[in-house]
Amino acid sequence: MVKAMRQMKVEEKEKEKKPKFQMNDHIDILIEVLKRLDGPSLGVAACVCRLWCTLTRSDSLWEHLCFRHVSSPPPSSVRPVVVALGGYKRLYMVCVRPVLSRLRNSDSELVWTRDEVQLSLSLFCVDYYERRLGGGATSASSLMFLCNPVNV
Amino acid sequence: MSPYDSATSAGSSSGSSSASSSTKLADIDGLLAGAGYKVRASDLRHVAQRLERLETAMVNSPVELSQLASSDTVHYNPSDIASWVDSLLSEFNHTPSLPSDLPDLPDIVVGPGINPTVKNEADATWTDNDAPPQQQQNMQSLTIPPNQLTVVTAMEEDSGIRLVHLLMTCAESVQRGEFSLAGSLIDEMQSLLRRVNTTCGIGKVAGYFIEALSRRIFTPQASSLFGGSVSGSGSASAYENELLYHHFYEACPYLKFAHFTANQAILEAFDGHDCVHVIDFNLMHGLQWPALIQALALRPGGPPLLRLTGIGPPSPDGRDSLREIGLRLAELARSVNVRFAFRGVAAQRLEDVKLWMLQVNSKEAVAVNSIMQLHRLLGSDPNRSPPIEIVLGWIRQLNPKIMTVIEHEANHNQPGFMDRFTESLYYYSTMFDSLEACTLQPEKALAEIYIQREICNVVSCEGLARFERHEPLAKWRSRLGQAGFSPLHLGSNAFKQARMLLTLFSAEGYCVEENEGCLTLGWHSRPLISASAWQAVPDANSPLGIVNHHHNNHNAL
Repeated sequence: MVKAMRQMKVEEKEKEKKPKFQMNDHIDILIEVLKRLDGPSLGVAACVCRLWCTLTRSDSLWEHLCFRHVSSPPPSSVRPVVVALGGYKRLYMVCVRPVLSRLRNSDSELVWTRDEVQLSLSLFCVDYYERRLGGGATSASSLMFLCNPVNV
Repeated sequence: MSPYDSATSAGSSSGSSSASSSTKLADIDGLLAGAGYKVRASDLRHVAQRLERLETAMVNSPVELSQLASSDTVHYNPSDIASWVDSLLSEFNHTPSLPSDLPDLPDIVVGPGINPTVKNEADATWTDNDAPPQQQQNMQSLTIPPNQLTVVTAMEEDSGIRLVHLLMTCAESVQRGEFSLAGSLIDEMQSLLRRVNTTCGIGKVAGYFIEALSRRIFTPQASSLFGGSVSGSGSASAYENELLYHHFYEACPYLKFAHFTANQAILEAFDGHDCVHVIDFNLMHGLQWPALIQALALRPGGPPLLRLTGIGPPSPDGRDSLREIGLRLAELARSVNVRFAFRGVAAQRLEDVKLWMLQVNSKEAVAVNSIMQLHRLLGSDPNRSPPIEIVLGWIRQLNPKIMTVIEHEANHNQPGFMDRFTESLYYYSTMFDSLEACTLQPEKALAEIYIQREICNVVSCEGLARFERHEPLAKWRSRLGQAGFSPLHLGSNAFKQARMLLTLFSAEGYCVEENEGCLTLGWHSRPLISASAWQAVPDANSPLGIVNHHHNNHNAL
């Protein structure tokens, strides 16, 4: 992608001095676009180039993704808690995505309720704690049940 | 299942329920009817056998599946399972590359030297294609060695039923004291076990019960090894107990349900208080508390000062396991900015705990949390006052804002052995059934050991050594009512949360029910665990004079 863009630049200079729109020059717009992607697409976007990779690592994007479908925005006290427990990206991967897919069998309107948010946060916290318990007893498999396919 | 899909699309001319119009409604199996299938109750065994065979055939010849999907045969009325399965099986019999069809073995005792007689049940649905002559040929040349049973035949089903019957007979003879008869029954059951699938279903449960019974009959002293103590077996180490408990927590939702429901109730009870104190009767790894800490951190108005007192058995090897758990919890609390203090109380038995050890101060709101601990106090020594009364007494003196009680929903404390045995057989069969859905290993295996220990204690121990004295919710209600507690209703939030939690589990058989303000979690409408909340009734006229550590406004309650 970067190579293609470079080529375009070269061609440009040869043609006219007409300014063309380079996405990577406008990071704020880029972020706005990335904000609207879903989880898997964000993952793919991270593989595009170094700039995109850095941007997609930013937790605020994932925070946006986690709470995009919440009916009312979460209180400000949530952020420090989530950050302390491992960050929004992890929250999404480990809790939000499986919970959402499990609770919504059909592709209906994806709107979280506050209860579902709370449940996810609690499960996330248990996960954090189990990882801290560490070695000895068990691996942190408390959330593994979320990964199992539903058998009807 | 693609053949079925093709069947439904092909058979959309389905006004034709006339295919089975001759079947009387009374004959049709009710449970399957609820799922949309019409099978005569008398046909059930036949259908089950055919389905097994169909599965075997499909497994053995995956290539033919696509043929089936595009076959010209139209499957009418797929809700009539019997004929549908038969028509599919006949499809398989068309293709020559298939292994020859297995004959029916309905009423045959498979012994070492016996060739199963080949019998084809006279059945109209077999005759509508040119398979029969081919089949006859195949079958006549067939002698299936008895141990090559890939099909669950009626024989195995009978073995399961026989096992249950033998278990009951054995238990009854134990109750009557006829130990020699009981012993011989154990031998018979063990030989029968060899012919039954013990990796799932009735075989597995029966195996555990047979073991528990033989412990009771042959080594009653050894079974007292499972006696006593706050959180488990006397001789089995606390570490082992914690490990098994943790795996039981992972493998099935019962403990998660318990924790989340109790936390929700405690959270609601602590609303508006700035100093709160939770007393946990069985700390284990403290898995319940991270969620409460996080919920308190996020509550509107900010988190209170949280004190946690964890009670647990003393660790034999000098490790202070209670303190270690406390440190982990404190670390968590610190990262989410909740002021937290932990205190561990090591006690072998809950009745040994004294009020002063808990160091409750008058300004804080107290919550007592008992997850499957109260039933252990029901065994009593005639020379001493009953432990349950001692403990409920000091809980009452604490005057907690809330006491959360989670118990097994079972009646395993009846005086008669036979009653206990029967009840526990049904209870634990249901529980093992629910565990089948779990695919996590080693969680599942260790969870089974955890349950097996309970079974052993219920069946093979007596007196003080038997501490798994489960009682149902109704009995706890009257017991706690008499001890001076009144019920607090668990709100709809707890119910919603429990429901949500269950939809996240992979098995769709769990059900949450509300029972007069208490919640129960069960498997297929059999409740297995109950959660309830209580508070102490203020007693101004108590003859014993409840010592109030708190400046209580009796009116304010």
